[in-house]
Amino acid sequence: MDAPARVLVADDEEDIRHLVALAVGTAGCTVVAAVADGAQALTVARAERPDLVVLDVSMPEATGLEVCLALRADPATADCQVLLLSAGASPDDVARGLATGADAYLPKPFTVAGLVRQVQLLTAEHRA
Amino acid sequence: MTATADPVARATGPAHRTGVAGLGAAAAAAAGVLALVVRPALPLVLLAGAVVLLAVADLTWRLHRQQTAARVLEAQRLDLFSQRQSTADELEVATRMLRARAETMTSVIDAVTEQSIIGTDRDGLVRVWNPGAERMLGLPRADVVRTRSIIDFHAPEELTPEELDAGGGTPFATLVQVAREQGSDVRDWTYLTADGRRLTVSVAITPRTDDDGEQTGWNFVGTDMTEVRATERLKDQFVSLISHELRTPLSSILGYLELVLDDPEQPLTDDQRQYLGTVERNAQRLLRLVGDLLFTAQVDAGRFTLQPAEVDLADIVRSAEESARVTATARGVAMSVDVPDGGLVVSGDALRLGQACDNLVSNAVKFTPAGGRVALRLQTAWRDADGALVDVPAAGATPVALLSVSDTGVGIPNSEQGRLFTSFFRASTARRNAVPGVGLGLTITKAITTAHGGTLDVVSAEGRGTTFTLALPLPA
Repeated sequence: MDAPARVLVADDEEDIRHLVALAVGTAGCTVVAAVADGAQALTVARAERPDLVVLDVSMPEATGLEVCLALRADPATADCQVLLLSAGASPDDVARGLATGADAYLPKPFTVAGLVRQVQLLTAEHRA
Repeated sequence: MTATADPVARATGPAHRTGVAGLGAAAAAAAGVLALVVRPALPLVLLAGAVVLLAVADLTWRLHRQQTAARVLEAQRLDLFSQRQSTADELEVATRMLRARAETMTSVIDAVTEQSIIGTDRDGLVRVWNPGAERMLGLPRADVVRTRSIIDFHAPEELTPEELDAGGGTPFATLVQVAREQGSDVRDWTYLTADGRRLTVSVAITPRTDDDGEQTGWNFVGTDMTEVRATERLKDQFVSLISHELRTPLSSILGYLELVLDDPEQPLTDDQRQYLGTVERNAQRLLRLVGDLLFTAQVDAGRFTLQPAEVDLADIVRSAEESARVTATARGVAMSVDVPDGGLVVSGDALRLGQACDNLVSNAVKFTPAGGRVALRLQTAWRDADGALVDVPAAGATPVALLSVSDTGVGIPNSEQGRLFTSFFRASTARRNAVPGVGLGLTITKAITTAHGGTLDVVSAEGRGTTFTLALPLPA
């Protein structure tokens, strides 16, 4: 049996980080790290090369959008899946998020079941 | 001129000639009588007397004619004098009126101190500079009129090279380009003041014309919007911040609630489930409020966009009824739905139309006491040339999808119906009956309807009920 997909979680809200980590676990994946800002997210992503990075858009040091752009620009991390979470729920917010090269965008508040589905969907290739 | 010639002609007419001939005849007759009674040595004397008489008569006639002509000329002189006087009077009146009008215009322009009124010639040289412009830009009229171009007071970066090309090569041509093409132009420009401040000014640009309608230049009427725009930006930032700060904790509340409610390994008691259900319901209510506030801010800022597609309104109406059914049942309100079997498809944003329909239906349920009814009806109707909605197509009428949501609720007083679609307005009947809400639902519904090219109308009688009618254009 293949090793579970490895997921990096980045959100400056501890409660949300924990909730996302729980959802990732429910989706059958492993959390490689749960960090609180964009700079840490980029450092860990480059070191760990996770299969999926779950990024909050609004974070200190570097926003989720900036982190996503940096991941896509770096050949070492360009292929990882990126899921953006954000309190911005307007069509413009979603379009801006996806324009950075993210694979999916989930507005807050999200349902745990919905987040689990998204994580499974984005790690399906790994599981296959 | 005929009038002046006629009297002379009349004075020398047949009647006068007859009079003179009469005198001549009388002289001749007198000479004849003398010739009969005086001896033959006297004829020459008599003849001379007759000639004298004739000459006197002729002179008398000439004098009479000259006097007549003189009187006529005097009359003409008086007439001309009178006409000249009258013309002079009229001219004076007209001059006074023009002066008064100019003074009125000047005084009105000078009385405007909160708006800048700047008039230029066709090349942008300032010709009019009111106290409002002095106040706003910090320069007296004497330092500007006929010496400065209005371009001197505009931020140069707003008249960029690209825009210069489109505007005909000069910054001023760019400034007036839209007004030249469309007759007028209102937009924000950045004015530069004498003390180096940058002001955001809403400027209305219109052509300036003379009495013959010939364009002589341009008018620029400006309102300082610097503080207003700053407040708007602050409001946007505030709404964005509130949105983030409320949505994030709501994510935690709803997410963890979901984990607890759906955990099969640790089932809840009925009481626990009911309590947590109340928590969830109120968290969802908060979430809707945040969404409504954000949406209202977007509408106010003109950033409200639609994602149009083909939408079956029948599905949307049925879905709205389904969402409201639980609450309606709990409140003892009966609901009915009447939609076309084949559906009714419009072009629109499904999410927003659903939101509008949900608002109308949930309002109807909220405002209807137990034992009441809420009826949803969707049909095709027509909008006639006068804009009225009719059931039967007429010449020039266009088809519309008509959704009516009727209730037998508390109703809305007549005096308040005009303010129903204003943000945060709540009818007195809503406050009296403690119906929850913040007064954004109808504002949002109206904005969505208008953005779809439709109309939203209300008919209501206090204590008897309300019907909202939403009409959306259908393909012809």
